[in-house]
Amino acid sequence: MAPAVYLDHAATTPLDPRVRAAMLARLEGPPGNPSATHAAGREAHAAVERARAEVAALINAPPAAIVFTSGATEADNLAIQGAARGAAGRGRHLVSLRTEHRAVLDPLARLQREGFEVTLLAPGRDGLVAPAAFAAALTPATTLASVMLVNNETGVVQDAAAFGAHCRARGVLLHVDAAQAAGRVPIDVEALGADLVSLSAHKIHGPAGVGALYVRRAPRPALVPLQFGGGQEGGLRPGTLPVHQIVGMGAAFRIAAEEGAAESARLAALAARLWAGLEPLGGVHLNGHPHQRAPHIVNVSFEGVDGEALLAELAGLTVASGAACSSESGEPSYVLRALGRPDPLAQASLRFSLGRTSSAADVESAIGQVRAGVARLRRLAPA
Amino acid sequence: MSGQPPSALADRLFREAPFAGRPDGPGWASGEAREPLTGTHVRWHLRGQGGLISAARYEVRGCPFTVAAAACVAGELPGRPVGDWALDLQDLVRRLGAPEAKLGRFFVIQDALREAQLQLGGRTA
Repeated sequence: MAPAVYLDHAATTPLDPRVRAAMLARLEGPPGNPSATHAAGREAHAAVERARAEVAALINAPPAAIVFTSGATEADNLAIQGAARGAAGRGRHLVSLRTEHRAVLDPLARLQREGFEVTLLAPGRDGLVAPAAFAAALTPATTLASVMLVNNETGVVQDAAAFGAHCRARGVLLHVDAAQAAGRVPIDVEALGADLVSLSAHKIHGPAGVGALYVRRAPRPALVPLQFGGGQEGGLRPGTLPVHQIVGMGAAFRIAAEEGAAESARLAALAARLWAGLEPLGGVHLNGHPHQRAPHIVNVSFEGVDGEALLAELAGLTVASGAACSSESGEPSYVLRALGRPDPLAQASLRFSLGRTSSAADVESAIGQVRAGVARLRRLAPA
Repeated sequence: MSGQPPSALADRLFREAPFAGRPDGPGWASGEAREPLTGTHVRWHLRGQGGLISAARYEVRGCPFTVAAAACVAGELPGRPVGDWALDLQDLVRRLGAPEAKLGRFFVIQDALREAQLQLGGRTA
């Protein structure tokens, strides 16, 4: 049996062989704690700083603004809990979107239990929040807003730069979750007006278990750390740095900087082909804005079929589903619900996400499998 | 996945869906039921003779276990008295290796069967 076509790159991506080589070279070399002052330590420290510069370059940031973490989830937690608590003396109101990742929503819920007020904005049916609606949610007590640049389920790209302009004008910190955006859409922290940006390595063919938080240098937001026990990463993220992981992240970001534009154009063409191949089925809905979207994610709902059954039909395809059986909560996708999709359509949705290893043949295979599966299930269903 | 993987029986019944489809010809009575939250929708088509069900077909929109359960029931309906619509749903859950949570969807199968039997009973009375 042929291996399943992998179209779940928004979940995680295969390690790029060049990244793997860089990590192996580090792992097989002499050990060295980058905090140590001996030669091996200095060499490890230099490797970390090279990677820091590579990560920073992709988002137009100074290397010193990069704090390495265990991933984007930790970066989100540090940004949101750290900044909210750091600014609590000025106000205790936080603004975000209902369609954010749980790595943002759950820390916000935690802060709410601590007495912070949280406003979650509802997007329109296209998944976008209008900048004017965002601005209207800011109050004199607002200290922090958080927005995902590229939504992980729909691929919709929020107008984060417009949000950033409003934040700057009102003295509100802006956190941008860019875990799905890095390497897919251009990120310029200055153009965004972002104070904090969360990044992940494994979403762009780097290793899992490492990420980063951009923290603006000037003016530098006050962050209360989540962990204590050492002075690493400016005291914001103590603990011995995993040098091979960080080197891998640096390599992944360097490759994305070198190849990202061409790769995004290729993925956009494949995504367009995928949608063009599915649309003739009829009764299919592209979830999210048709144009203001990242090139690698296509989220589609199918009328007249059950989501769980559709997933079962696609044995040769690895994709994410909005079906309740696919979620840890046992509920249909809350993101698609927030876009106003009724539960049966939220359930009967598939998220196709493309990556560097995706080929035109993969897309044709996916189109064929989905068309056959949907057609069979619709034949079974009452008219 | 929140539920366990389907048993071999459930998987086979889902993939083959025996007795599925809208029948042609006269003499069929139909009944249907829906569950709007999940979109589960079942329609039975029954034919009777001498107070007994002689043939059963179904149309279903539902999860793999629901399709499998409808297929399983369809194979066992011929020979049952018209009006005997109650199914042993717990036994279906067990035989198909379905999660208990699927019981709610299986009720849709039974509700549709009751409607179809009412139609069939009215026709054969």
